[in-house]
Amino acid sequence: MREVVVGLLCAVGLFFSLSGAVGIWRMPDLYTRIQASTKTITLGALPVLAALVVGTGLLTPYTSRAVIVAFLLLVLNPAASHAVARASYKTGTPQWEGAVTHEPEQGPRS
Amino acid sequence: MTTLFLVVAVAEVGVALPLLVRMAVGPTVGDRAVALNAFSAQATLSLLFFTAFASRTIYLDVALWTSSFSYLGTLVWARLLEPELL
Repeated sequence: MREVVVGLLCAVGLFFSLSGAVGIWRMPDLYTRIQASTKTITLGALPVLAALVVGTGLLTPYTSRAVIVAFLLLVLNPAASHAVARASYKTGTPQWEGAVTHEPEQGPRS
Repeated sequence: MTTLFLVVAVAEVGVALPLLVRMAVGPTVGDRAVALNAFSAQATLSLLFFTAFASRTIYLDVALWTSSFSYLGTLVWARLLEPELL
């Protein structure tokens, strides 16, 4: 029973991680790659960490580390991606020619 | 169960292979930083599952340090691009 739950959670997490990796590989410009990166990497990591907790038991060293890693992912991954996106936008990284919005005159929000 | 842990650890590394392509050919620094960020997340998960396979809890702290300091590396790359950040 636990093997089935662990296998299902790992399958879900690996599917989302694979879709995020293929998105980073195939997307046309930097901003769409960040779009593919943030959500799917986080969503792919959380079920896998839950599978680790289910597979090793609740009161083990694995559970505490899994919770800490999940917290760090949830807090730091959007912050780091936002920093990279903001820095790249302000230094003039070109957008894909199919992009519909580009507002350089608006400036950063104060 | 331990075999399943090893399978997941290897699969996480295999999932991260397209990120290596992007890290190699990425035209700008931001592309490589994004790929590095995602790759370090996958490496952390792979290391956690390898720890569960090998029953060596010392690797858990290595995974913890990887997960906390890889984001610091990404922030440093963003800071390099735009000095008024941070």
